[in-house]
Amino acid sequence: MLADVDSDDTTFCITTRTEPDDLVPSIRKLGLMHAPVLKQNPPGYIIVCGFRRIAACRMLGWTQIYARVLQRNFDFSEMARLAVADNAMQRPLNLVETSRALKLLMAADTEKEVLAAAAAELGLPLSPAIVPKLEKICDLPQPIQKGILANAIDLSMALKLDRFEPGDGQALLGLFNHLKLGLNRQRELLLLLEEISLREGIPIQQLMTEKPLKDVLENTEIDRSVKRQKVRTYLRRRRFPMISKAEMQYKAFVKQLKLGSNINLMPPKDFEGMTYTMTIRFDNQKELKNSKEKLEKIIHHPDLGKILDG
Amino acid sequence: MRISKLFINKQVADYPSTRSIQSRLNVPSESVQNARQVYAAISRAADPVQKGKEVLYLTRNRGAFLKKCPGTSHYTCCDYQILHIGTFCYMDCTYCVLQTYFHPPILQYFVNHDDLMAELDSVLSQKKVLRIGTGEFTDSLIWEPWTDVSSLLVQRFAKQNHAVLELKTKTTAVGQLKNLAHNRKTIAAWSLNTKHIISTEERATASLSARLKAAARCESWGYPLAFHFDPLIIYDGCEADYAGVIEDLFAHVAADNIVWISLGTLRFPSSLKPIIQNRFPDSKIVYEEFITGPDGKMRYFKPLRINIYRKIIACIRQHAPDATIYLCMENDEIWRKSLGFIPDTVGGLPQMLDQSAVRHCQLDQDVSC
Repeated sequence: MLADVDSDDTTFCITTRTEPDDLVPSIRKLGLMHAPVLKQNPPGYIIVCGFRRIAACRMLGWTQIYARVLQRNFDFSEMARLAVADNAMQRPLNLVETSRALKLLMAADTEKEVLAAAAAELGLPLSPAIVPKLEKICDLPQPIQKGILANAIDLSMALKLDRFEPGDGQALLGLFNHLKLGLNRQRELLLLLEEISLREGIPIQQLMTEKPLKDVLENTEIDRSVKRQKVRTYLRRRRFPMISKAEMQYKAFVKQLKLGSNINLMPPKDFEGMTYTMTIRFDNQKELKNSKEKLEKIIHHPDLGKILDG
Repeated sequence: MRISKLFINKQVADYPSTRSIQSRLNVPSESVQNARQVYAAISRAADPVQKGKEVLYLTRNRGAFLKKCPGTSHYTCCDYQILHIGTFCYMDCTYCVLQTYFHPPILQYFVNHDDLMAELDSVLSQKKVLRIGTGEFTDSLIWEPWTDVSSLLVQRFAKQNHAVLELKTKTTAVGQLKNLAHNRKTIAAWSLNTKHIISTEERATASLSARLKAAARCESWGYPLAFHFDPLIIYDGCEADYAGVIEDLFAHVAADNIVWISLGTLRFPSSLKPIIQNRFPDSKIVYEEFITGPDGKMRYFKPLRINIYRKIIACIRQHAPDATIYLCMENDEIWRKSLGFIPDTVGGLPQMLDQSAVRHCQLDQDVSC
């Protein structure tokens, strides 16, 4: 009787897909091709394999199903292995499912040193180096797990976010989702926010409610790519006020020089050192001559002196 | 900080210095074949850097005792000679670059003093003006409670007239210097910082006031002095705080007894940043505006450096208009904008410091070249 099956006991649940809609049509048409595995848990049963199949049967209004029933004293580690193999053999597992599988194997007293090999035997090949990171995923807060499942963040970012206060981690995740940031941009913004937060002793969450940032994030009129740029610029200025000011000042002076499109003036990296680089592009002698005349003017321009004096 | 264990290289077990240190320290000791065994023991600790400060490894220096200061490319170096008596330090400064120098860093002391003295004799016999210091890979005076190395060196330098020894420290361990015949060939030097930085970033070091009192004692014993504002660390209110340190300094010692004052803003290899973040999570010093210099080291954005140098130099000049002030590892532009001249116009930084040593330490000038 399906009524005797306790679907709330998720001890052996590995799948992250909770809705069985995709299974319903095939089960309706062909019946249950693979019997779920249940364990006696008087007065009823708990599920070892087949959470979604049982949910689909319930959705179809079935009251009885065929199932393989394990005795109540059946070895826990065997059941864990069955659950892992049942999932891993039929489809590639996502990171959260892989983490759940590893947790199950650990709960089944699998030694950490042989965890990767044990998982591989059950159809879940993993590099031993990544196992310690993966096993933490299913303990992360739900929003972070959801971020991983939605491919909004990768494993290393998820673990990094988990090190923040919960409010800060979720605020960051919200920012990444809102701006649809790639990993490199995520890292860049995270570093800026984290270092401002640490320097000034204010939570990241609070930083993100600062008016200039909030105004950009809440502005529905501007394109997402523009928002990304504005957020980055704001945070960079906030993190490096003097350097940003110098960059803006440099741009303003260079503009005064009216270099045109054929001449480019590059400052030393980070304005350290004293060597500036000028490039001149030309297609013919006339263009080069024009640039030479322009160079004469630039050399005597007072703003060049200001640039070179720093 | 307390040394909890001695590791002794088998080769030096019978050296007099080894026995002397063993009896003075009176902590458990373990005999080892080589440094790797010590590294292995240290590496097992949760914080190997901290552990490396709690053990002392006695061994032979199998390389040169005298080394040229490594300096750094693209910036002006003072051409200093390092006398390599040991490595690392039991004090625990956030910014200490020694945390990244060795693998892992350990408090290590070289007991083959016969080799050290032979090498020193050979170098000193060249009769060149030299500035030699022990405070580069370690603090010069942390060894005082267990060793006689400073006495040995001070007395050796006292017997010649061409080179000076600089003992650079953040301690007050000057007691053993008191009755030594130093002949003004040893410069007692202190790293100085603001009270705020000392209390937040320089753990287990002496307070500012204690350092200055120790300097005054050395001066009263006839030693020439030097001071190093290095690293200068920028924070809100730092300018007033550094001005206060300078006031304190000149309230304790005579300006004309100072051989040199160096200034250097905080700089560090990028590999030090995660170490600081992990070992000193409350420290904020790495979150200021740093750029990566052409030598690969992180340093404050140039205008910030120039600004702090100018302010501090102006303060020093009020008290000591003629003091020899130099910048550690900076380029000509920073020199010109901070000090108003570049080293080349005075014959170069090494020459400038040599001349100050000649004047203050009564070195034989005719051999200076």
